[in-house]
This record gives sequence, C-alpha cells and structure tokens, in this order.
Amino acid sequence: MSVDFATPTVSLVKTEPSPNSSATGPIQATAPVPMIEVENLDFFYGKSQALHGVSLKIPARQVTAFIGPSGCGKSTLLRCFNRMNDLIEGTRIGRGHIKIQGIDIYDPSVDVIALRRQVGMVFQKSNPFPKSIYQNISYGLELQGVKDKARLDAVVEKSLRGAALWDEVKDRLHTSALGLSGGQQQRLCIARAIAVEPAVILMDEPCSALDPIATSKVEELIQELKKQFTIVIVTHSMQQAGRCSDKTAFFYLGKLIEMDVTQKVFTKPAQQQTEDYITGRFG
Amino acid sequence: MQTSEHNQALSSALKGKARLRVLGLTFDDVVRYFFGGNAAVAVVVLALILVFLLKEGAGFFGQNRTNIQVYRKAGLEYVDMMRAPLEEFSSLTRTLNDVRLKRFRALLAEGRDTDGANEALKEYDDFATAFGAAASEARGVVSDITEVATAVKTRAQVSADREDEREMLLKGGKAEQAAALKVDVVDYEKEIKLITGVAPAWKAAVTEMQEKLRGAVSVARGADWGKGDKELAKVLVKTENFLSVLPKADARMAAWRWDEPVPLSRSVTAFLFGREWLTASFWQDWYGILPLVSGSLLVSLIAMAIAVPFAVSAAIYISEVATPGEKSFIKPYIEFISAIPSVVLGFFGIAVLGTALRSLSQVEWLNWVPGFPMSERLNALTAGCLLAFTSIPTIFSLAEDAITNVPKHFKEASFALGATRFQTLVRVLIPASLSGIISAILLGFGRVIGETMVVLLCAGNRIAIPDFTQGIGMLYEPVHTMTGIIAQEMGEVAQGSIHYRALFMVGIILFLVSLLINFVAQRVVRRYRISIG
Repeated sequence: MSVDFATPTVSLVKTEPSPNSSATGPIQATAPVPMIEVENLDFFYGKSQALHGVSLKIPARQVTAFIGPSGCGKSTLLRCFNRMNDLIEGTRIGRGHIKIQGIDIYDPSVDVIALRRQVGMVFQKSNPFPKSIYQNISYGLELQGVKDKARLDAVVEKSLRGAALWDEVKDRLHTSALGLSGGQQQRLCIARAIAVEPAVILMDEPCSALDPIATSKVEELIQELKKQFTIVIVTHSMQQAGRCSDKTAFFYLGKLIEMDVTQKVFTKPAQQQTEDYITGRFG
Repeated sequence: MQTSEHNQALSSALKGKARLRVLGLTFDDVVRYFFGGNAAVAVVVLALILVFLLKEGAGFFGQNRTNIQVYRKAGLEYVDMMRAPLEEFSSLTRTLNDVRLKRFRALLAEGRDTDGANEALKEYDDFATAFGAAASEARGVVSDITEVATAVKTRAQVSADREDEREMLLKGGKAEQAAALKVDVVDYEKEIKLITGVAPAWKAAVTEMQEKLRGAVSVARGADWGKGDKELAKVLVKTENFLSVLPKADARMAAWRWDEPVPLSRSVTAFLFGREWLTASFWQDWYGILPLVSGSLLVSLIAMAIAVPFAVSAAIYISEVATPGEKSFIKPYIEFISAIPSVVLGFFGIAVLGTALRSLSQVEWLNWVPGFPMSERLNALTAGCLLAFTSIPTIFSLAEDAITNVPKHFKEASFALGATRFQTLVRVLIPASLSGIISAILLGFGRVIGETMVVLLCAGNRIAIPDFTQGIGMLYEPVHTMTGIIAQEMGEVAQGSIHYRALFMVGIILFLVSLLINFVAQRVVRRYRISIG
C-alpha cells in the first residue's frame, strides 16, 4: 500500500487552527500538533554514524532552527526529512523513525516523489535552473503534469508574490533566472519551493551566501511564510536563529543536546554545552 | 647588537636565492625555459606542417589548368562532345538489355524452356539489334578520331617533358646537352584541323542515327510485343528525349575554339565540383574531389547515425542510472575500444562484418529492406559500422563528462521539487549538458572523417559519387574517401606531378573540414560554459 501525501492530508493540517501560535510563553502548556516527529534516530554515512539517537518534535506552522557547529549533524537531519540523503551512496537509517503527519517516511511503501512534493527545500547555494524565471517556478507543477497556461500563470504570480519577488521581476519573467542577483535568486528558489504548495519547507543555511540586506529580506519572508508553512531552518548565525525562529534545537557531535523555545535556549539554556556554544566559548 | 645580527640573518635569507644560479640561471628560469621551449617547438612544427601542406598543394591549380589546356588544345574536349551523346546512348541500350532479361525470366516462369523463350523474344531482339546498330556509324567516326586526338596529346606530353628536361639541364649548367635535346613542337592548329575536319562525317552519322532510331521507336510503339511494358515505354520516351537534345551538341561543337585560354577558375571548379577522379587514364585525367567528399560524408554520416544513439545513451546510463559496480566495469570497457588498432578493425570488417552483412542481406524474409540483397561485400555500410565503433569511445567519454559536469545542485533542486529521475534527466540534465553533448558528437564526427585504415580496407574503394536515386540502396554502394585515396595513391605518384599535388589538395580540404568541425565544437562548448553559469 502506498501512502499518499497528496492534498487531503495537507489541507487537513493547513486548516487546523494552531492552538498556540505564541511561542513566547514560558512553558507551552498545550503543545501544537507536531508536523514532524523524530524518534530515537541513528543515521549512518557508510560506517560512520552521523546521528545518535535523536528525538524531537517539530510543531506545525512555526519556524524551528537547527544550530550547532559544523559537522554536528543538523544538515543531515534536515535532509532526512525529504529523503535527499537517498541520493548519497551508502547512507542508511540504523534505528528509529521519522514521522511526518504520523506517517513513517522511511517505510518502504512511501512514495518518495510525493513526499518531496510535500516537503520542499531551499539550499545553501541558490540554485535556479538555467531557465527563465517563469520556467523555474512552473517547473514543479509541470512535473505533476499541469499544462493549463492560466493556472501556471496564476501560480507563478502567487509564488513570486509570496516570496516578495513579484515587483522586482514581473517585467522580465521570461528572461534567464541566472541574471538575478544572489538575494533575488535565493528568493526565487523559495518561490519555486512554495509553488508546489508543500506542507513543510526545509532551509539549509539559506542566507549564508547573502549580504545583510538580502539576508534581512529573506528573514522577513520567513516570518510571512510561517503563517502558511512549517519551516525548518539550519543556520550558523545565532542572531538569525534568535531573530526568526520560534523553537531552536542545538546539536553537537550528532546528538541533540537541547531543544526548546528559542527565547529560553538563548537566555536560560538547560545545558552547559548550549550555553558555551551560544556565548561563543567553543564551536 | 641583537638588531644588527637579526638584520644580517634577514639579508642573507633574502639573498639566498643567488646561490642557486647555474650559468646565470636560477632553477625557476630553467623550468620556465624548458616548458616554454617545448611549447615553442610544438608551435613551430605545426606551422611548418601547414606551410609544407600549402606549398605542395598550391601548385595544383596551375598544373591542373595546364592539364585542361592540353585537353582543349589537343582536341580531346572536342571529341568528348561527340563521345558524350554516344555514352548516353550506350546506357539506353543497356536498359534495353535489362528489359529483355526481365521478359526472359517472366517467360521461363510461365513454363517455357530456354529455346521457346528465345523464340518468343525474337521480335524484341530484332528491335534491340536495330536500335543498337543505329549508332554504329557514329561510333566508327568517334573511334577513329579518338586515336588521332590521343596521339596529339601524347606528342604534346612528350614535348612538354622534353622542355622540362631542357630547363633542368640549363639550370644545371649543361648548355650543350640542352642544345642537343630535340624538342618536337606540336603544331596544334594543323592537328586540330584534322580533328575538326571530322565534323561533316559526324553530322552525317548523327542524321543517320536519328533516322534509324526514330524508325526503331515507331516499330516498337506499333508492335504487339511492346504493349503494356512500362519499362520499355520509359526507354522509348528517353530515346525521344535523347533525339531532341542531340542537335544541340552540333551548335556547341561549331562554337568550340581550340585556342581559347582556360581561366584559372575553371581549374578550381574542375577540382571542387568535378564529378570524376580519374588518374593514369589513356584519355584524360580528371581530379574532381566530389566523389571523394561525398564518399567520406556518406560513410561518416552512416557511422554517426549508428554511433550517436549508442554512445549518448551509454553516457546517460553511466552518468545517471548505473550503479558504481556497473560504472566501474562499463566505462573502462567502452574506453578500451579506442585501444583497438584501426587496421585490426579493418581486417575484422573484411573477414567478418562484410560477409556477415551480405549474408544477412540475402536472407529471404529480409527482402523488404530497401536495397537488399547488397551486391558488394565491402561498401559504405560496412565501413560506416566499423567507424561507428571507433567513434563511440570519443562521443561516449565527452558526453559522459558533459552530463556528469552539470552542477550537482541542479539535480538536487529538481529532486527536491518531486521530480523523478527520468524527469530530472530530460528536463534538467540533458538541456544543461546539450551543448556538451553536441560538441562531443561533432568531435566524434571529426574523428570519423579523418579515419583512414578502416575506410581504405572496408569501403570498397570505388571512386564514384553514390547514386542518390537509389535511396536507401546507396548505403550499400562501394565508395572511396578522401583519407583512403591519399593513403592509397600517395605512395605511387611522382613527387611534384599533378597527381601528387592533387592528393595534397585533398589533404588540405580534409584539414579544412576537420578544422571547421573542431572550431564549431569549441564554439558550442563555450556557449555551454556560459549556459550553466
């Protein structure tokens, strides 16, 4: 039996009211329904273990930041969520599960293609296709066989507006996407990801190659997007995590050290290692 | 105190380089001059080769002009105007023979024995004999005059050779010997009068031929045995065309002048657009490159048609689909093909492939394939198959590089949007590497067109433009190629002769073709670099 990730489940999650949209409360009495649930996950690249018994819950329609020094496994975990690690030879899950909306995504019956349509991704290096701006956005829908020009036009406009890029590119939709600036390219990649209306957007250090102005635009955008999507962001910037995330998870050497409401992690971390890291004493 | 010591140490460290000098050169200089020298030698050698090629080839057009000039002066051109219609007529009589053969077979199939069939074809035979005999008078005239013209040409050649010899002697300071050498000057005007004097006799013969042919045609049209035979009707129509065109030759012959100079452009066009490559002929040598170019192109196109699908698909498979195990086996395996010496491939072509293809073409149920069964064992298709084999490693390696070099993040972006492997391949990877693939194909084409041994051994080496009217059937015709002809004939020509220079010109054309292909391929690659940013 193949598990269908298509619209019904999504619409279910999207219409569901978020019981606690404020992440600033000291303790989340009624935690939101977790979008992603990781249970006791071990992950291997060949023989080397990258994740050790990670368990966490990522709430729907909030921004969750993964922080930690390089090589701590945060990107690896992110890439497990849409099974991008499948593309790398020799990777495997040793133990544990990842559930998205209650479905184990590593179950053999899961359709990876459908999963990736539900879990979009924005990469560290902006990577628009060497096609026009329009084609970049319409690509995801065309993959699903959408040919209706009017619908494509509508989605392109909606996505570009959603990524706050519409006004800048509306007059040159059919020129090459490679002509855009770095920040615009990254927002184009976000627009491309939201065009297929996923439930989750994964962002792997989306601002590491951008200048501060472009970075602040993307961060504003993230605040807009979280009204509609569940966002998981990997970042090396403490300030960025502090500014735009609701929850923060700190990883060290493949282990989840601490995960809590962002404000709490940054002001009163429960673990000494977390405090050392965010205050710059190591890492 | 300490400071000055420190300064000394610093200055000796800075000057330390001076100690390494040998003959006033540091090690760095030696390295630089060594590599620079090697690069310079490569440039100089390439330039020398180019200069040599051009120098040896350049004399061709002048010599070819003289060649054509003699052709005109000795009256060969005039005689050819009479030979041309006769050759056309010969092809008509050949078709009549074919028609007879078909009828004969049909009669045998009806159940008649050989004698009976011959008996039934008696009337047809009478017609065919009368048809063929119509030209006997004209043939006689041409055959006589051909001998005269050949003799004039031979004398002209001998006197030209003597002239050369005398000049050589004069150059060598042997004036006495030079004076003793008798040069027989040909009086072309006198000789030409002899040749053009045949015009009235030719005219009479043509008139007779026209009458006889008209008679034969009307007999065939009226007779019962000729009814319903489409091929015969075709021959008759062709004959009537021939008859109506025949008088036009007269006007050309009347306008012909033996002393009209041959322009250099004629020499160039005779080479570039000449339909005949004819050497060591008793009549007239022609150096027309068209049969060789068309042969080379035909063989190369067949090779590409076979190689491109295989090589590109293999490249796509290896770069995108294959498991590491398959990859480590298939890739070296395909690249190993280029280690096979081409003469071995040629040998394989003669011994195995040619025979196998011909036996295949003779299989009864493959009769529907156009052109089957093939009459020649060694032909363009045999050579094309083997050339495809030699070009597969080139195309495969370069195309595989092009696809593999598409930045990984394009692929990731596509997969992350929910694309399947096939969608990613068709919509992202192939468009992004298309120019790389095209340039791989072009370079493979360049490799194929320059390949010599295989075509020399397997293409059949018949110097003729492939008969395009045959359609697919032309693939099974033996051809000769530019590379093959150089390899075959260069060893036996006298240095400096027109034939020698003609081969150099073929070499130059080949060089230009290769250069063009490489140039286009590089342009495409440059575009490809830009397109993937």
